[in-house]
Amino acid sequence: MTDPAAALADPLEPVPVLVGRPGDQALTASLTAPVLGPTRKGWLLLISVLMLGVGFWTLSLVTTLVVGIGAWGNNIPVAWAFDITTFVWWIGIGHAGTLISAILLLFQQKWRTSINRFSEAMTLFAVAMAGVYPIIHLGRPWFFWWLMPYPSTNQIWPNFKSALPWDVFAISTYATVSFLFWFMGLIPDLATLRDTAPTRAKRIVYGIFAFGWRGSARHWQHYRIGYLLMAGLGTPLVVSVHTIVSFDFAISQLPGWHTTIFPPYFVAGAIFSGFAMVLTLLIPARRLLGLEQVVTMKHLDNMAKVVLATGLMVTYGYAMEHFMAWYGGNRYEAFAFLNRWTGPYAPIWYVQLFCNVLVPQIFWFPAMRRNLVVLFVASVLVNVGMWAERFVIIAVSLSRDFIPSSWAMYTPTWVDWGLLFGSMCTFGVLFLLFLRFLPVIPIAEVKELRRELDHHDAGAAGHGAAAEVGP
Amino acid sequence: MSARAYVVAEFAAEAPLLAAARALRGRGLADLDLHSPVPLHGADEALGLKRSVVPRIALVLGLAGVATGYVMQWWMVGVDFPINVGGRPPQSAPAFIPITFELGILFAALGIFLGLFGLWGLPRLHHPVFEVEAFRSASVDGLWLSAAVEAAGVAAVAAELRALGARQVEIVEDGP
Repeated sequence: MTDPAAALADPLEPVPVLVGRPGDQALTASLTAPVLGPTRKGWLLLISVLMLGVGFWTLSLVTTLVVGIGAWGNNIPVAWAFDITTFVWWIGIGHAGTLISAILLLFQQKWRTSINRFSEAMTLFAVAMAGVYPIIHLGRPWFFWWLMPYPSTNQIWPNFKSALPWDVFAISTYATVSFLFWFMGLIPDLATLRDTAPTRAKRIVYGIFAFGWRGSARHWQHYRIGYLLMAGLGTPLVVSVHTIVSFDFAISQLPGWHTTIFPPYFVAGAIFSGFAMVLTLLIPARRLLGLEQVVTMKHLDNMAKVVLATGLMVTYGYAMEHFMAWYGGNRYEAFAFLNRWTGPYAPIWYVQLFCNVLVPQIFWFPAMRRNLVVLFVASVLVNVGMWAERFVIIAVSLSRDFIPSSWAMYTPTWVDWGLLFGSMCTFGVLFLLFLRFLPVIPIAEVKELRRELDHHDAGAAGHGAAAEVGP
Repeated sequence: MSARAYVVAEFAAEAPLLAAARALRGRGLADLDLHSPVPLHGADEALGLKRSVVPRIALVLGLAGVATGYVMQWWMVGVDFPINVGGRPPQSAPAFIPITFELGILFAALGIFLGLFGLWGLPRLHHPVFEVEAFRSASVDGLWLSAAVEAAGVAAVAAELRALGARQVEIVEDGP
């Protein structure tokens, strides 16, 4: 179960962020191999299976467009249910990518290097999936551009004092900036692919997307500062996005939503679920693509620690919500929380507590953080728990609001389930395409990391050892 | 326009590459560039590059985004078509903060991205250095120097680069 390299290492030595010191040619060869090599049967099989889910998703989307929102289980008072739950879930998952690529870059965490591209791609696809839900929930999604302020013949502007237009700006900015940041990082690697691809067709395609990058020192100078600034912008952006998503709820009057702890608690939950999703995807991918050398147990161990830390923050959020429901003295608020423990949807609340509060505690044990099976299962459970959390906040709070005569139960229809599972399959297909056609590990950045580690080794070995260079 | 050519030379290590750049620059050759798979420490000094203007672009566009965001909301829902929703005042500064912030970030990020392409002169799919087949290694592990020189001086620059320790030197005639 444990990584052979980690098992052989001296237990007192920290696990490395890069196994060995491969040269530039070796790194290029091993990191471009999944892209330039032949298509594998397993990949084809997996993508074919997932395409069935994409079909189900398409069917659910078309049904929603043709029939309308009535195809869903939504009702009044539960006007937001699977759609917004899944929207918040996907947006939250997206947050890990920007956290790893931006915040950890500013903190100079070396372990981010190998996994940033991977998690940024996850962010992009998660945000793409998330963006679908608010749009189809509009009722007449073909008028979605009415959300944008433009001088229309309606002669009316969006109401900027509502949290929902804030969401439009936050999500579209987040999607745009994440894409630009991801693409900027890709440019040098696309040039590497252009220069190493075996066939003329691949050279041309990668060459077009590399935009003529020639590794010029004059270009690198602007690139480095631009990349750093993008990280600097991404850091407050990622915090703002889930804060604004939480405003959709916190600004309202509904018991269970109307609380000031939502912004930090949503951001912590977003990072929690995002890191769990990175683990879920990374553990099989590093094995299948042979990336154990650059994505080591050190990365998985660190991510498990982040999951534990953010899990504790989320737990604090749950505790504080309950405290405020009691201390605030509002009987509707108190009832909303009693309803979670004893109401008709209580089993989902217990799933949430088990997955988000209990499961991460296993990561206090170093052996568990380095056990791939435990990591994988726990990461899946965390995402189940985070979906349950959003369902409990959104649908359960709505189903029992103020006056018992207005209460109603929510039951999802097959369209709701189709949109949920279909979006997961679509996300999977996009991710598999990414694994096949783009370098998953940032090649140039890993080369730079190796130089830094060489430099560090040389420094540690004393002044005379500076002549030591990679093979 | 007088004929120009590119002298393209590969070096085995960073130190001689940077030394060669300094030496050529000392002889008055200004149109020099280095090419490497990763950013090189000391390349900016060796080429005598000025500080990047990217931070200033980001600052100006970020502030422009903030101004656009606030003024847009102030005018649209406060002046042009005030709507009373929930009794909120027409000018409600706290409610305008989220979009103001997001547009500031969006403008700055677009400014950095497009500004970089402007500064780079990219997309430019063809460049004389790509004529050298071995130049492919510049994105893998190769360390290259390129110098644009007048046709008359090509032989001298090529000889000097060999003397400075270049592993191979190629000459590319710039197109008409």
